[in-house]
Amino acid sequence: MIENSFNRRDFLKVLGWGGATVALSGCGNTSVEDGREYVTSYVETADYIIPSIGTYFNSTCAQCDAGCGIMGRVREGRVLKLEGNPDSPINSGKMCGLGQAGVQAHYNPDRVREPLLRNGDKGEAITWEKALQLVSEKVASANPGSVAFLTGGVSGHVKVLLKNYLDAIGSDQHYVYEAVAPSVVRAANKKAYGVEMPRLRLDRAKVVVSFGADFLGTWVSPVHFSRQYAKFRKGVNGERGVLVQVESKMTITGANADRWLAIRPGTEGILALGLVNALSAAGLTVPAEVAAAVKDYTLDRVSNDTGVSVEHIGKLTALLKDRSPSLVIAGGAAEGYAHGSQNAAAVALLNQVLGNVGKTVEAPASMPFPQMAPITGNRSSLQALNDSIAQDGVKVLFNCGANPIYSAPASMNMKESLKKVPFKVAFAHYMDETAMEADLVLPLNSSMEGWGTVVPEYFAEGAQLNIQQPLMEKLHPGTLGMGDVLLALLKQRRPAEYSGYEDYYAYLKNAMVAIKGALGGENEDDDVFWDSVLSQGVVKLTSSSNALVSSASAAGLQLPPPAVEDGTYPLRLIPAVTPNMRDGRHANEPWLQESPDPLTTIVWDSWVEMHPKTAAKLGVVEGDIVEVASKNGAIKGQVYVYSGIHPDVISVPLGYGHEAMGRYSKGVGANAFKILDPVFDQQTGELAMYETRVKVTKAGKRVIVVKDEGPAGGNQSGRRIALRMASGKVNLAEEV
Amino acid sequence: MSITNLLQNWSDFRQQHPSDERPHQEYKWAMSIDLDLCTGCNACSVACYAENNLPAVGKEKFSHGHSHHWLRIERYWHNEDREYADQGAQFLPMMCQQCEAAPCETVCPVGATNHTADGLNSQVYNRCVGSRYCNANCPYKARYFNWYDYPTTADVWPAPMEQQLNPDVTVRGKGVMEKCTFCVQRLTVAKSNARTEGRSVHDGEVQTACQQACPTGAISFGNLIDPESRVAKQWEKQQVKLNHDKQAKDAVHDGDKLRGYRILENLRTYPSVMYLEQLREGAI
Repeated sequence: MIENSFNRRDFLKVLGWGGATVALSGCGNTSVEDGREYVTSYVETADYIIPSIGTYFNSTCAQCDAGCGIMGRVREGRVLKLEGNPDSPINSGKMCGLGQAGVQAHYNPDRVREPLLRNGDKGEAITWEKALQLVSEKVASANPGSVAFLTGGVSGHVKVLLKNYLDAIGSDQHYVYEAVAPSVVRAANKKAYGVEMPRLRLDRAKVVVSFGADFLGTWVSPVHFSRQYAKFRKGVNGERGVLVQVESKMTITGANADRWLAIRPGTEGILALGLVNALSAAGLTVPAEVAAAVKDYTLDRVSNDTGVSVEHIGKLTALLKDRSPSLVIAGGAAEGYAHGSQNAAAVALLNQVLGNVGKTVEAPASMPFPQMAPITGNRSSLQALNDSIAQDGVKVLFNCGANPIYSAPASMNMKESLKKVPFKVAFAHYMDETAMEADLVLPLNSSMEGWGTVVPEYFAEGAQLNIQQPLMEKLHPGTLGMGDVLLALLKQRRPAEYSGYEDYYAYLKNAMVAIKGALGGENEDDDVFWDSVLSQGVVKLTSSSNALVSSASAAGLQLPPPAVEDGTYPLRLIPAVTPNMRDGRHANEPWLQESPDPLTTIVWDSWVEMHPKTAAKLGVVEGDIVEVASKNGAIKGQVYVYSGIHPDVISVPLGYGHEAMGRYSKGVGANAFKILDPVFDQQTGELAMYETRVKVTKAGKRVIVVKDEGPAGGNQSGRRIALRMASGKVNLAEEV
Repeated sequence: MSITNLLQNWSDFRQQHPSDERPHQEYKWAMSIDLDLCTGCNACSVACYAENNLPAVGKEKFSHGHSHHWLRIERYWHNEDREYADQGAQFLPMMCQQCEAAPCETVCPVGATNHTADGLNSQVYNRCVGSRYCNANCPYKARYFNWYDYPTTADVWPAPMEQQLNPDVTVRGKGVMEKCTFCVQRLTVAKSNARTEGRSVHDGEVQTACQQACPTGAISFGNLIDPESRVAKQWEKQQVKLNHDKQAKDAVHDGDKLRGYRILENLRTYPSVMYLEQLREGAI
């Protein structure tokens, strides 16, 4: 890490990279800005660059919203590899595969390199000057209220600028759409605990019961939870933590559970209430109101409804009663139904009855600067945009970081809906499905080229503000940062306020220095403070947190009986969120396509996962191409048979089946988003992802599934390769 | 060397790896992997791609077995005939085990793969003639052959993707065998730095790329000669001895407290990677 302060501009100059040779412009020779460059010998490099020695710069991972701190290894002006920043409380120096593939997003050959203006079916390259001029004309000619922004989750100073720009033009239309987000759980938590996402302390729990929360793979902050999981497994005084996962389709977290309970889809809440009842019967103190509300959830009934055996419910009850504190988490599998809110509420109730609130469920730190706090959203926000478009309320639409044409269910008909917007601007990294429909495409810097601040959605410890800084010179001269574009647009609207800032970097530095007192740099010189912030990459903020609601109440809890089978569409589709693909925005990074899915070991394609019983009933075997049809569409895929899934469901991974984007993603697999039924959570109105009913029919062909596991398919054939023993035999406290 | 000499002194030739009489001098790089912490997330594997210039070969070549994941996650099931895999899966990171008596070394016709003084099984790319005998003889299937010239293959490193390549690691051409090196480029730097300062590499100074990425810290790596290194302590605690092919664990039946083992140890390959058995709770 760089300890000495240095001039930021010199740094950028030195990172000049051109063609096969390294074009270095030494101090004072020229500037990158005026385009003149001299090739200078390495003898004259800046002090902190030694040829062949990597230099590390701290920044923030932009591959998902967890906000892990990263260190980019920079050599001879190129960023080579991303490593975890050990000082970041979220990931403590660790990284996931998705994060590491960030360099492939940066160097991707399919990036958009210059602004493109629609001319018929083609995009014509234009200059940024012309593009911004066009934007300002279109905005000026539209009714101020009819300018809308559609974004993914945003935070930090870009969020502030975005808000200011919307204020400046007089619009309040900002829609936030994340295709895969725990929004129902957030709403249920808000009701139960008073906060959307409490701080979960796996490291303090002796037992963790997760209702489909894939916290090791895809849920909220996987690297952070993996760190905690390691502590949880090592245990206090060698008492190893016990993980029980309840879900209908195995996730990577389920694959690591001591007991994986295959549950009938949608009955998670019934099991949670059954456990409350059983705990009450076993002598745990439960408020009378709650005990009365759950008294009908008898062991036999719960076992009958959920398909979980009486024996396992009994053992789980005993485990929860004997080993305290425990932690119960509701995740994607619990919230994905029309009664998802109720399921999540039942799980929260179990936590409260067990007395976990305050022990393993803690109040999260609050962000002292709410204007920078992350803003999240899901399908209902996208629906609001759709409604606004239908009422002719959107004349200019800016889209940044969301790809609704790919990820919104077909029933929303996003493609047709967006056609009604006269002028669509897409800020794009790739020409993805939504950018393809835009009238103007504005290419963005990669997260390794631009400046920014990021506030993580989930704080590991206290509140923090992450820095994003360039790890190298821009690869393509025609790209720009989102902050720079917003600043340029604001300059047109509010010149008095913003014309003093040369670029977004100047704005950012000024804004950060202005609040340096709150950022822990009270007595520091401005430049010293700024340099230390850049060097650390993470600013820890002093923050407070409010107490959580810990009193249990079953008021309003109303769980439906298990769903009855649909004659025409007998199976339920679980659209699986996988660690590699997530919602599909990184499908064009070849490392992620070639990294085998942890459970099926399949690469470069999607698949249809089913239980051996289901496969036998359908008369299919591995590799058969089947058609999966719902009321809203059909996709085809190769069958993969294994016993980590309930026989009533089949599962298809999300993130595949792009129709555009790039060479590594286009046409690879099928898009499961497209066939989801429009069923919504009754309380939040979010899409119930697990409610789609499908029928599966053989489509004739059979292929060889391309996967990493051998022909034995996970069987060791009697050889002692991967060994397993009972945890009772070992004392982990004695181990190193 | 006559055949008589070879047969008469077989055990001497067989024991090419350092033994009690001929120990390692300064370094013996070794690893230990806790399978109870490995979640199968693949972060280590992607880190290896990033560090070691591994090509993503694409679906067709992958289907032919031409993948280049030096570190792969093997996934096993223990569910026998039960209806569900209800005790989860077992993940096992498999890479070159850097055997002390490596079966690959003895069959190389050109000495391209051989043992280094610090206990690595090295692969000399420009000596390799591509006979693939080593690959056939590796019981761990940890060697990968370049069937194609990946730097010039379409869509492997299209511009500007080649700018990500690590200059510290050779980009291999067609006809060359390759495998996990324990990130030898990092070891070289660490050893060189230590030598300059007149000391030996201390524990934690050098990490392999997989170890550095692993979100649960399941992988530890270090110098087995250094009794203070974490890896040496782990081997010691688990009573796994480098130059033995039967360990204390094998002598005890049910009730043993040791979970350290080496894969296919009975083949007398003397691997440098110790695995710690996965655990499962009996109360649920």
